[in-house]
Amino acid sequence: MAMFKADGKFAVLIAYFKIILTYRAMMLIHAIRLLLLPLVLASAWLSIEKTASNPYSDSDYLLYYLLVPVIMNLTDSRVVFKFSQAVKDGSLNRELLKPFPPLMSYLLESLANNALQLLYLVPFTLVFWLFVRDRVLLGHLKPSLLLFFVVAIIIGTLARLVVSGSIALLSFWIEDVTTLNLILNGGIWALLGGMIVPVATFPENIRHIAELLPYRYMLSFPIEIFSGRLSNSEIYIGFATATFWIILFAIIMHIIWKSGLKTYTAYGG
Amino acid sequence: MFNMPVMNEQVHEYAIVTKALNREFKVRLKAEGLLASVRNFFSPASKTVNAVNDLELQINRGDIVGFLGPNGAGKTTTLKMLSGLLVPTSGSIEVLGYTPFNRDHAFLKSISLVMGQKQNLWWDLPPVETFAIHRQIYGLTDAEYKSRIDELIAMLEIADCLETQTRKLSLGQRMRCELAVSLLHQPQILFLDEPTIGLDIIMQKKIRSFLLDYHRRFNPTILLTSHYMDDVAALAQRVIVIDHGNKVYDGHLTDLTNKLHPEKIISVLLNDGEFVCKLEDGCRLIHHEGQHYRFMVSRNRVPELAARLYATGNIADLTIEDPPLEDLIGQLFTPDSQSR
Repeated sequence: MAMFKADGKFAVLIAYFKIILTYRAMMLIHAIRLLLLPLVLASAWLSIEKTASNPYSDSDYLLYYLLVPVIMNLTDSRVVFKFSQAVKDGSLNRELLKPFPPLMSYLLESLANNALQLLYLVPFTLVFWLFVRDRVLLGHLKPSLLLFFVVAIIIGTLARLVVSGSIALLSFWIEDVTTLNLILNGGIWALLGGMIVPVATFPENIRHIAELLPYRYMLSFPIEIFSGRLSNSEIYIGFATATFWIILFAIIMHIIWKSGLKTYTAYGG
Repeated sequence: MFNMPVMNEQVHEYAIVTKALNREFKVRLKAEGLLASVRNFFSPASKTVNAVNDLELQINRGDIVGFLGPNGAGKTTTLKMLSGLLVPTSGSIEVLGYTPFNRDHAFLKSISLVMGQKQNLWWDLPPVETFAIHRQIYGLTDAEYKSRIDELIAMLEIADCLETQTRKLSLGQRMRCELAVSLLHQPQILFLDEPTIGLDIIMQKKIRSFLLDYHRRFNPTILLTSHYMDDVAALAQRVIVIDHGNKVYDGHLTDLTNKLHPEKIISVLLNDGEFVCKLEDGCRLIHHEGQHYRFMVSRNRVPELAARLYATGNIADLTIEDPPLEDLIGQLFTPDSQSR
C-alpha cells in the first residue's frame, strides 16, 4: 500500500473517483445500460417453455440474470475506447511524459469506474432480489464458495482487461479499433461469455469450445460458481484456463506496446 | 546511442546533444476522385517525408534557446524526440545523459514539455487537484511541495483560479496553471512549444516575464518554439532556425538580425511643423502620418543621425528599434534567401 501510494497510483485512482463522481448522471445512464439488456433476456428466458435437456430452471435463470449486470460491470474495461482516443488525439503524450506507467492510468480509470458503478448497481440488484427472493435459492452459499466467486471475478476482470488492452493497443496501427472491439469484445463476448445464453445451457460441443476460450471467464464462470453449479475440480480447471489466457494476452500486449511506441507519431499537443 | 544514464554534471556539460538526428514519417496519399479511392483501396500510395534531417545540436545547461521555423519545419517533431515521445529514425540523442526514448523515470523527472494548455492539467479537475497528483507522481516531499507551489502560485498569480474546474478556466489562466504544474518538480530542462499561442498581448508579456524570472532563479535549460517573435526576442539569447527539417542558422539572435537586416528603424514624433531635412544616403522614409515619421537607417549611421535629429530641437519623441523579427525570419524562408 505504501508503494502504491508513494508513486502516485493511489492519487491517480482517487482522481478518477473524483472525476466520475462529478458526472453522476453519466453513472446512472451506464447503470441503466448495464441493467436493461439482462432484464430483457431474463424476461425472455422465463417466458419460454424449457426443454428437458435444459439444465436451467426459472430459479437458475433468475439468479443468473440478477448477477449478470454486476459481473458485467466489475469485469468491464473502458481501455479500448479511452486508449484509441488518446492515440488519435495525442493525449497519450501526457501519459508518456510522466514518470508513471502509461497504461496504469487507463487501468485505474476502469477500476474507479467499475467500483463506483456499484453505487447504483448493488441497490438496484438488491431491490430486484427482494421482488424474487422466494424464487432464488441461496442456501448452498458457504464461505469457500464466496472466496472462489471473488477470485473468479478478479481473474475475469484481468482476462477482459488484457484482451481489451491488446485490441486497444492496435490503435497504434489501426485508425479505428472500435469495430474490431465490437466484434471480439462485444458480439463474441456476449455470445460465448454467457450474456445472451448461460454457457451451461449451450449444446455440449459448443460449450466445450466456450470453456476453452477466454470469454466464459469474463462473465459466466463467476456466476456458475456462485450458483453452486461447479465442482471444485471444474473451478480449478477454469482458473487454470483463464490464467493461461491472461498470461498469453499479457505477453501479446507487451509485444504490441513495445512495437507500437516505435510507430507512434505523437500527433497533437 | 546512449543506453546507460550517467548523471554526472562534469561529464555532461551539454544539456542536449544530437548527432545526425533524422525522423521520417510515412504519409498516405490519395488523388481526387472515386477511381483514385478504389485504386487506393487495393494499392495504398504513400510517401516518406523527412521531418528532421541530420540535425546536430549542442545546447549548454542553463541556456534559453529559441527554436524557429515555419509551420512543418520540424520544430515540434524535434521537441517530441528530445522529450522521448518519438523515436528517431536514425541518429542519436542525449538529454542530460539519457536516451529520451528509453523513458527512464529519472529522465522524465528531469524534464517538462509544455505543449498547449492541456498537456499536464487534468481537464475535469481543478488545478489544485492536478498539483496534488503531480506531487505524488514525482515523489515530492511535503516541504518541497509546499514551498514550490506557494512560490509558483505567487509568481504566476493563479491563487484565484486554483479551485475552478480546469475546463472552465480562461486560456490565460490555463496556461499559467499549466506552467505551474510543469515546473512543480523543478525540471532541469523545459521544452516549451508555443507557450503564448492564443493569448492576448498582456498575458503574453506576463508569461515572458515569468519565464525570465523563473530562469534567473532556477537556471533551467529552456528550448522554446514560438510563432510570436517577441517571445524569442525577449527570452532567447541563441536561436536555431530550421526549415524543412534542416538547420539553416544557429547563433545569437543579434547576429542573425544584423546579418539579415543591416538597418534599424528610427521613429520620430515632431513637436510641430513638418520634417524638412534632405534624406541622405543610408536613410529612407518608410512611413509618414501627421507629425510621425519612420525612417529605415543603416546601422552604422544610426547614432549620428539620431544625434542630428535631436539637434533640430523639434523632437517630441524618438525611438530606435530593429525591424520586426517576423519580417527577418520570413526572409530566411523566401526562395532567394536559401543562398545566404
